[in-house]
Amino acid sequence: MRKLGRWLWAGVLFLPHLIGSVVRSVPTALVQIWANKIRALLTVLGIIIAVTSIITVVSLVEGFGNYVTNFLRGLGTNMMIVYPEWVRGPRGEFLRRAEMDIDDIHAVDAGAPAIRRTSPLVWSSATIEYGRQQVTNVQLRGTNEAFQPIRNFYVDAGRFFGAVDVENGSAVCVLGREILRKLECDESIVGDYVHLDGQRFQVIGLLESKGSFMGENQDETIIIPWTMAVKLNPYARTHLAFYVEAMSEPQIPDAEGQLVRILRQRHGIKPGEANDFGAFKQDQILQQFNQVRVIATSVLAGIVSISLLVGGIGIMNVMLVSVTERTREIGLRKSVGARRRDILTQFLTEAVVLSTVGGAIGIALGYGFTHLASLHPDMVEVTVPLWSVLLALGFSAAVGIFFGIIPAFKAAIIHPIDALRHE
Amino acid sequence: MIATPPIRAVPSPPVIELVDLHKVYRVGVELVHALQGITLTIQENEYVAIMGPSGSGKSTLMNILGCLDVPTGGDYRLRGQDVSRLSQSKLALIRGRQIGFVFQSFELLPRTTALKNVELPMTYSGVRHRRRRALEALKRVNLLDRAHHHPNQLSGGQKQRVALARALAQQPDIILADEPTGNLDSATGEEIMAVFDSLHAEGQTLIIVTHEDHIARRCRRIIRLIDGRIVLDTARGDVWSPTTPTLTAAPAGAPVPSSTEGTP
Ligand SMILES: Nc1ncnc2c1ncn2[C@@H]1O[C@H](COP(=O)(O)OP(=O)(O)O)[C@@H](O)[C@H]1O
Ligand SMILES: [Mg+2]
Repeated sequence: MRKLGRWLWAGVLFLPHLIGSVVRSVPTALVQIWANKIRALLTVLGIIIAVTSIITVVSLVEGFGNYVTNFLRGLGTNMMIVYPEWVRGPRGEFLRRAEMDIDDIHAVDAGAPAIRRTSPLVWSSATIEYGRQQVTNVQLRGTNEAFQPIRNFYVDAGRFFGAVDVENGSAVCVLGREILRKLECDESIVGDYVHLDGQRFQVIGLLESKGSFMGENQDETIIIPWTMAVKLNPYARTHLAFYVEAMSEPQIPDAEGQLVRILRQRHGIKPGEANDFGAFKQDQILQQFNQVRVIATSVLAGIVSISLLVGGIGIMNVMLVSVTERTREIGLRKSVGARRRDILTQFLTEAVVLSTVGGAIGIALGYGFTHLASLHPDMVEVTVPLWSVLLALGFSAAVGIFFGIIPAFKAAIIHPIDALRHE
Repeated sequence: MIATPPIRAVPSPPVIELVDLHKVYRVGVELVHALQGITLTIQENEYVAIMGPSGSGKSTLMNILGCLDVPTGGDYRLRGQDVSRLSQSKLALIRGRQIGFVFQSFELLPRTTALKNVELPMTYSGVRHRRRRALEALKRVNLLDRAHHHPNQLSGGQKQRVALARALAQQPDIILADEPTGNLDSATGEEIMAVFDSLHAEGQTLIIVTHEDHIARRCRRIIRLIDGRIVLDTARGDVWSPTTPTLTAAPAGAPVPSSTEGTP
């Protein structure tokens, strides 16, 4: 114990000397590297690859992560989608049904204290015609006036349909911005009429622009009252889905529990039997994304560890060569007063500077690649996080220390006389 | 051991005091006796030439004097301090602070200016005002105008003068030069020797290994080694002449007879 204390104390006393010695060695190291530019570059190739991969992959994953998070915030943070679903397995095959109607939705709305509001959802697609223009296979969503606050998705021209339109099943629609673009018309379409699957609808409003998410363009959507949607698609009347907004984010599990209890009771599902509906929560998107993240991270870890190993061995090799080449220099340094630790720090510093220079090149390349990627029009916004830069620098320095220690030690223990006699 | 009678009053300990110094190298199973009992005292401000045929142990002796190596037997006191059994790092400190070494092949760091080369020993001993002292040293060897030149931009003589500046920048107790003119033509050699002379005049203690008689003649004391033994030391009153094939006075292996000891 006492011995350990003495050692630690010796280490602390040694620290200023060490720092001074390292600082003094850096210019020498840079001169050495500059004198052997090509060799140095080839040596640190592995480290360059490792660091470039770290920076690029981390930045892209982070970029997509931010994008997903923002998207989820855009969806409305407390939102769930509940939909009818056949029971899995033999019983489902036997029942061959899973129903949900407006009474179920009303019951959930009225009976679940953790739920702020609900909104029916009819999910289909349609062809829209306007004048001579036509767009096929557009997302058609039937819902009610609560859609806007639940989805956090508002009209910014004209108006959204109200409770009366829903009550009456009016032939009115709200269009996304992408549809406008494809129909080659401007905001003057509001008030005008379009045809959806041949049926006449009045355009009463235009949705704000939201961009696309995972290949699905949210702006290429037409929204109509759900009462109208079930007229177009009668099967949906007994197979409604619906949005649920919980009172608050922490209350989402409560809200889910309450709606499950209400729906199971209404659908007469016995204990032990599976639900005949499903609930899609935002954290499922996050989970999916996290799977992608895990895969990307493991691939990254693989590339990084292999190339760091290769880079490290390269550094060890080149440092061993350098020690042999500079034996006389080592002898001279020792003969004018360098101690073993001075030589050790000098060569260790050289290895670390070499690997860190590789790291710096890798960081520059990483910045370059992320910038290049962000030039693509469909690319999400990416920035290089500071922590990935620090991590990469840390890794490169660690490789320098780890693989530089043996050559540095070899240099340190050379006897000055043998070194000065070296040819 | 040879009892050396006190000959004159010595105010301070001698710079160098060797007593029966031995150095044995092991080459495979063979033992090479490079030094076989050197007893030698060098006082402050002495100007000593060490001569002898190749392989006689001159470099071995210089390396031990310069604390680059340790003897396998005997004692070495540098300014009264026993340095024959010190650890590597203590020896390194002594090399840095008390010894200035000049080599035959200059040993300057390439890609490093003359000034930085001169500063090098001081970076290890942690001396302050390195730059100022390095510039002063360069001035003493008349190379101030080349302070920022690299070794490959300097002539042989200039390189050796930079090496000399490096050796004297820290005002060492002793400057050791192993054939400092060996790689230089005679004119340049004279140039270097002129610097040594002036250092001697300023009070510096100097030991120079040389083959050349005219170099040796400039020194105040000549020591001749053969087979690792001192066969002539003008400080003992031995008469040295470049023409007399110097002494096989003492046969190899026999102790130096005490009758030859004394002061001039
Ligand atoms: N490192 C060494 N290993 C083995 N033998 C050595 C070593 N250094 C010197 N010697 C031997 O010691 C003797 C003296 O060598 P040295 O001191 O270099 O002589 P000089 O400098 O007078 O020519 C020689 O026989 C030489 O071969
Ligand atoms: Mg020699």
